[in-house]
Amino acid sequence: MSGDGKLPVHAKGQRPQFFDDPAVDKLLAMVMALAGEVAVLRDRNDTLERLIDQKGLVDRDEIESYKPSQEVREARDAWRAEYLSHILRVVDVGADDMGRNDVSEQWKKVMESVDD
Amino acid sequence: MHMPDHEQFAHAVLPEATPDEFSRQEFVKSFKLHLATKVSPNNKVVYEQEVKPAFEKEHGRAPDSRHEIRNAMTQHPHYQAWSSLLRTSQELMWKACQGSVERQLDTLIDRASAKNTEAGGTLTLNPAVEMPRYLAAVDIHCQPGNYNAEVKANDVSAGAVYDTGVYLYAMGRLGPLNDDMGASQAMYIKRTFPGLKPKRILDLGCAAGHSTVPYKSVFPDAEVYAVDVAAPMLRYAHARAESLSVPIHFSQQNAESMDFEDDSFDLIVSHILIHETSTKALRNIMKECRRVLKRGGLTVHSETPPYKGMDDYDAFILDWDAYNNNEPFWSKSHEFDPVEAATQYDFDPGKTFEALIPSVFEEDQAKRTNVFQGGDFGGSGMWYVFGLWREQ
Repeated sequence: MSGDGKLPVHAKGQRPQFFDDPAVDKLLAMVMALAGEVAVLRDRNDTLERLIDQKGLVDRDEIESYKPSQEVREARDAWRAEYLSHILRVVDVGADDMGRNDVSEQWKKVMESVDD
Repeated sequence: MHMPDHEQFAHAVLPEATPDEFSRQEFVKSFKLHLATKVSPNNKVVYEQEVKPAFEKEHGRAPDSRHEIRNAMTQHPHYQAWSSLLRTSQELMWKACQGSVERQLDTLIDRASAKNTEAGGTLTLNPAVEMPRYLAAVDIHCQPGNYNAEVKANDVSAGAVYDTGVYLYAMGRLGPLNDDMGASQAMYIKRTFPGLKPKRILDLGCAAGHSTVPYKSVFPDAEVYAVDVAAPMLRYAHARAESLSVPIHFSQQNAESMDFEDDSFDLIVSHILIHETSTKALRNIMKECRRVLKRGGLTVHSETPPYKGMDDYDAFILDWDAYNNNEPFWSKSHEFDPVEAATQYDFDPGKTFEALIPSVFEEDQAKRTNVFQGGDFGGSGMWYVFGLWREQ
């Protein structure tokens, strides 16, 4: 047998639901997947710090005592603002009409408006 | 839980991980250890303090089976959270192993093909062997693609993913070669039955050959055979054994119906095979063991302990995989009674034995939880085995 070399993504078999609301199970899975990726980044960062320390480029104490300048803080503020707006797009009511309670009514109107 | 004192042994076909892939796997190991040591124990606390009293109040009696405990516990938020996290850890585990295998699959296939005859073992594949219904119904323990998915010619990916996955699943506690079950069982047999001196040994449902290989070290004079239904596992197992310089004769066969002649083995073993079969298959496997075993031969099988005589709560927590980790025969298989089987399948009823045997891999004893529980495989430091003798 031959194929494209891509391994299957899902295991055959129904995924169990533990919480009353299945969304909680999914959310928890996403949180832990993200926690895993944070741990990966943390390890990578740790690798970098150890290497530059070993090579005498930067002392690790220097990293610990680093105080960002005003310019650096502003750059980081700007990056975090952009980052959060990406992550929280879905709860940004101003971005679209998704945050309203009467979504189904509104959507019905949109559907009707194109049904001519 | 980075354990530089015993990383997984880097045989020729073990997938190599980039630093990020390695970190991803290490995260899963830590996540699983946290669940086993910090989160799982509180299931017992909420059961004793909340769930059991509430059940007693409602029914006027305590729960009287693992099933009643499960039904009551599934309503509790702590059990829900632990279960949801444990299931997630299993999925993340496979994902973390798949990444490095997919990236270097061509290399692994090439290495496996090159490791064909170094040690003198053999590989016999038979494309006519189908995955039996009990293995094809769901992907066992949630490995995407199961034991048999083939995504390239001469694929070994299922074996490579499984090898890394088992190491993570047991959190390294099966040793650098994932061989603790086979090594412990082989040593137990050698010490307990010094007169056996097997010349031909057969391992059933060998998968990546983790448990098969140590039989050759413990019984160096024996010829060791191993069967499995899945070709990608066998290709991997063969290449792995050859690279470890251990000659094993692997063949693609269903243990329910093998092409070996009657009376052809002195010792037939399996390791956590039984819970992945079915009522009917188990019957057939026992009959096959009886048929291919020589007179005076022994068959020994290891599993997690049976529920008979076990506290209902302990059985409930060990039963988690049956419902939540694609192990549909797990629950039923733990009700298997070897003494009944001896009579039923014409083994010597007087010599049937059951034992909890110690793990030979003691190096990591301090990291064990010393309990049998879902999501904590190898945590107990003990293996349950049962053995049946064919009469002389």
